[in-house]
Amino acid sequence: MKSYTQISGEIGDLSELPFWKKTDVVDLVYVGYGLFIVTLVVFSYILGTFNLLPRDPQEIDLELMIAPPGTTGHLLGTDFMGRDILSRLIVGIQAYFLPGLLAVFIALFFGTILGVLAGYRGGRFETAITYVTNLVDSFPRLVLILLVIAAFKPNIYYIMIVVGLTNVPVVSSHIRGKIHFLKQKNFVEAGVSLGLPTRTIILKHILWHNCRSLLIIQATIGMAEAILMETSLSYLGFGVQEPTPSWGNMVQAGANYFMQGKFWLSTAPALSILFTILGFHLLGDGLNNILEGKRGK
Amino acid sequence: MKLSAIRPIALVLSRELAITALLLLGVSFVVFIILYLSPGDPFSVLLEGQMSTAEARAGLREVLGVPKSWHAQYLSWLTAMLQGNFGTSIRTGLPVLKEVLRVGLNTLVLTIGSMLVTLIIAVPIALYSAARGTNRVSWPLTMFSYVVSALPVFWLGYIVIYFFTHKLGLFPLVLGYSSSAQKFGWLYTLLPIFVLGIGNGTISEVIRYLRDEMGRVMAEDYIRTARAKGASVWKHAYKEGFLIPVTEIIASKIPFILGGAVIVEQVFNWQGMGRMAWQAAQDRDYPVIMGIAIISAVFVRLGSLFQSIVYVAVNPRASKE
Repeated sequence: MKSYTQISGEIGDLSELPFWKKTDVVDLVYVGYGLFIVTLVVFSYILGTFNLLPRDPQEIDLELMIAPPGTTGHLLGTDFMGRDILSRLIVGIQAYFLPGLLAVFIALFFGTILGVLAGYRGGRFETAITYVTNLVDSFPRLVLILLVIAAFKPNIYYIMIVVGLTNVPVVSSHIRGKIHFLKQKNFVEAGVSLGLPTRTIILKHILWHNCRSLLIIQATIGMAEAILMETSLSYLGFGVQEPTPSWGNMVQAGANYFMQGKFWLSTAPALSILFTILGFHLLGDGLNNILEGKRGK
Repeated sequence: MKLSAIRPIALVLSRELAITALLLLGVSFVVFIILYLSPGDPFSVLLEGQMSTAEARAGLREVLGVPKSWHAQYLSWLTAMLQGNFGTSIRTGLPVLKEVLRVGLNTLVLTIGSMLVTLIIAVPIALYSAARGTNRVSWPLTMFSYVVSALPVFWLGYIVIYFFTHKLGLFPLVLGYSSSAQKFGWLYTLLPIFVLGIGNGTISEVIRYLRDEMGRVMAEDYIRTARAKGASVWKHAYKEGFLIPVTEIIASKIPFILGGAVIVEQVFNWQGMGRMAWQAAQDRDYPVIMGIAIISAVFVRLGSLFQSIVYVAVNPRASKE
């Protein structure tokens, strides 16, 4: 059994304690690491957009092919055409950053609308939305995306729209659950009896005051998934094409050299994918534990 | 399973089958819409592919005609599909359903095997964490599983291949199923199962969910009573704390596992449904990819059906909802 600790946060819902005294250290570590990764990604994205790179990512240096990390001027080594890996990694962020934001935005926007409809109105809306939720959940995401690719052209924005749409059910069911929980609270009843317009009740009281942590968490999870999707697709050959770098197609290009024992061509982008996705996941997890659950555990 | 559970199971089964049928209808409609909206009218090609080749060859295509309005197209496509005619592949000219089912078997093996691998790894960690709480042993294991779940599965595949071919000298000459060439050929077929089981991201979710549910059950009153009585705790806890959460999380993760199978099959050149889907997307072979999408959806819904049955078999009162 755990030793008894005086839980200082249980004085009231609006306890004055700063949040770092109320939570497990583990969650703070998660959130800290996650925020670090997010900052790194955004920073690198800005670097990439303004071309403030250590080296030109397309610059071919045939004399320095497959140089190991630590060669002068190439912090992470070079690939099979002598191009600097670090610069390509930074530029590769552009492949998923904006599309990922699109996917997250679509998921949150439509998810919230459907969730509010299902939760607040209930009844037939709820049944219909449950049906749509189960329907969308029946497809493996990658297969659906391959279908869209086969039917349309392999445009990353179309794909991210699909990714966003497939995340709509998850968001909407979370919001619906939250609204069910909140509907029983008195402030909703009070708002209705005061004659507040429904729009105000929903937008201000329910969504803004109570659901924003949920939405932020869903945003992080959605972004992690969008990154995974984009890298998997470029790995399979459907995303950005050579010579434009994307983390996925860098792993693919380095695959043959991997078998020869030259790991870093594939490993550098793979580790970037790993740490970035881990960062977003842990951020979502940590925020979830801090903001949503585990009060006074 | 009690004998009295049969009637609730039948009730739930019939209700779930009806819902599944409706959902599969919706699935077909979604696929139809995607294909319909795509430029270049793939639908005529699809419907033509569904007619028997003799008719097409004899040029009867113009006479029989392809229905023009979208609902007529949908209906004729749907009826053909229900009779098992999924059209013919654009690339190979072979009937889609037969081909997909042929390779689907390989994917089934891969998927179910990987689920077992995931469970074998995740369940002990979860049960240990639930029983003992977060301590020095369980926390590093849990963190390790989180990291492993974030690994891009294609890279993990390469590492495993490299390790096994260079370090242990097992050469992947023959791929897929029937590699009988060398002594350890059968071991090589286990590799993709192992990689998919670890790399599809479900380990951390299973651990988290199972640990939470089991932890919740352990804190229930009836467990406390069982302990006080001296009865076996597991016997009372396993239904609600283990069986139901496991089937629930596995059923909900089937789509992800299928998606991961697409990548793993490509890495290991495993002749499965996923690889066929990838090939079809490259060739824009929409009859094939459409067939695969529908078959995967069927598979997912079957998993969901199975989960409902297990839920009711374990707890017959649930059918009253």
